[in-house]
Amino acid sequence: MSDWQRLDRRMLLVHPIREVVRFLPALVALLVFGTTSGGPAWHYLGVLVPIALGLLRYLTTGYRVSGDRVELRRGLLSRRVLTTSIDRIRTVDLTSSPAHRLLGLTTVRIGTGTADDEGTVDLDGLPIERARRLRAELLRESPVAAPDPSAPPLAALRLDPRWARFAPLTSTGLALGLGALGVLLQGSTLVGDQVLHLDDLADDASGPPAWWLVVPLVALLLLVLTPALAVAGYLALNWDFTLRHTPPSWHLTRGLFTTRETTLAEARVAGVDVVEPLGLRLGGGARLDAIVTGVDRGEDGSSLLVPPAPAAVVDGVAAQVLGTAAPVEVELVAHGPAAVRRRWVRALGPALSLLVGGVVAVLAGAPPWALAPGALAVPVAGLLAADRARALGHALLDAHLVARSGSLARRREMLGTAHVIGWTLRDTWFQRRAGLTTLVATTAGGRQAVTVPDVPLEEAVRVADRAIPGLVGQFLR
Amino acid sequence: MSLREPVHRVSPRARWLWAIEALLTAVAGAAVLAVVELVSPLDLPWWVWVLIGAAVAAYVLVVPQWRYLVHRWEVTDSAVYTQTGWWARERRIAPMSRIQTVDHAEGAVARLLGLATVTVTTASAAGALEIAGLEAARARALVDELTLMADAVEGDAT
Repeated sequence: MSDWQRLDRRMLLVHPIREVVRFLPALVALLVFGTTSGGPAWHYLGVLVPIALGLLRYLTTGYRVSGDRVELRRGLLSRRVLTTSIDRIRTVDLTSSPAHRLLGLTTVRIGTGTADDEGTVDLDGLPIERARRLRAELLRESPVAAPDPSAPPLAALRLDPRWARFAPLTSTGLALGLGALGVLLQGSTLVGDQVLHLDDLADDASGPPAWWLVVPLVALLLLVLTPALAVAGYLALNWDFTLRHTPPSWHLTRGLFTTRETTLAEARVAGVDVVEPLGLRLGGGARLDAIVTGVDRGEDGSSLLVPPAPAAVVDGVAAQVLGTAAPVEVELVAHGPAAVRRRWVRALGPALSLLVGGVVAVLAGAPPWALAPGALAVPVAGLLAADRARALGHALLDAHLVARSGSLARRREMLGTAHVIGWTLRDTWFQRRAGLTTLVATTAGGRQAVTVPDVPLEEAVRVADRAIPGLVGQFLR
Repeated sequence: MSLREPVHRVSPRARWLWAIEALLTAVAGAAVLAVVELVSPLDLPWWVWVLIGAAVAAYVLVVPQWRYLVHRWEVTDSAVYTQTGWWARERRIAPMSRIQTVDHAEGAVARLLGLATVTVTTASAAGALEIAGLEAARARALVDELTLMADAVEGDAT
């Protein structure tokens, strides 16, 4: 039984500053109020409250590793002790914000497989060396072994900065870029009003504001700045991205400002997920996620294996992680004409009804542009249906279930059959009539299930039976 | 190669359970509609009302029968197999070794009818098996049986 350990003393610098920042509005109010009301300068003591809180947080937070458990205690008035059994640890994450890095500290996050916050243990503020030792200590006794520094790690992947060209093709990259652009624009309108006197400019032009100037300018900003910011965001997040394999675990580091080290237990990697959203796919790229049992999407980023990168790189890493290239490369079994027909009906149905609605409206006297939405929707729906039909496919080989579907967000999911913990066959009346069913393999990680949509019923049953012998077999006719 | 249906049907009283629940939903919907009609009349043509009435009647009278025809369950030494739904049918199979918890629940209406629901969960959030409309005594026996069987299997079920 070891003693309670404190966080690093240097956190005395971080915690009070963080508390001061958190209490900033209250403090400003206090100072302003105190100065205007006159009298002795007691109000300056208000600053001490957050500092004392920070100090208390340091004094009341402790952790210990004893036997097969990790315990974290915190809180002064309402004291809480979090206890986690070491053999339930799935991932260990070391995250260092710039402030932490300045002081040589890091935050250790221990993931235990529960989706909510209750299950994760955060140790905010350990010296990086001690954190790595703790990780080694935690992982040695669990199914994950600590990365052995003496053995040369098998580098599966190192980021090539040129891959940042894929960033503007992803929705996250675009959102990042647009967000940054919004902040910039807000700043620039403030500056613009003060310095350039835009209103005066408009007045000088003696008329309405020069739209012919403003519209192309904004368009140019959107076209140039958004991708640039997306690229910058990609590089900041994924700088020096390195994936190493030190059996039996995967070790991943990344980040320019905030660095992050993630260790995944190999035994917990149930499969991988090649994600190819339309934009990324057209650009020849893809992303790779790991399906990790006990880590769901809530624990953000923990399951990313390869950030947007060339498809060949992604496939290579996928094969390395799975231990076999076959599921990545195999030609998938198509689902047949009935499934293809269903893709077309489901995509074209709404578009055609929009068109018919437009025609009816025009006949009833609406202006002709009422036809436009329908006329636009039909070809788009057609393209979507064709792409979806092409994507649809599945395979079962080398103890992996492979399923691919979708168009705008196409994914090829590859799940080890040993990690399938149940089957669901879902079919609506329409599907039953077409002899199709949606086969779902449930699993304890990632998106919780791998879905094979609209597969012929016989084939679905055969796949399920072959994947886990003896389970479905007893319910066959 | 095709899947047969699970062996056991749920209690015939389950039809009443579903009908009463559907009726309660319909009454709540009608109340909302009545309030809307009072505040600002919708001025719907008469045939829309007829259509709404027919849909509700079907939902209360026909759908419970349909559900009863679909709902089935089976427990073997190595697996639990359920079939639920009506328009969309859902068949779920979970190996005994992957069962994590066995839940027993009785809603207000279900208690009135002496029925209960047994829910079997696995480590996957997408993988719970629900058997609704079991006779309460049968449900309790099933829970005991499942708990014993799931206990007997090694492993942490993930």
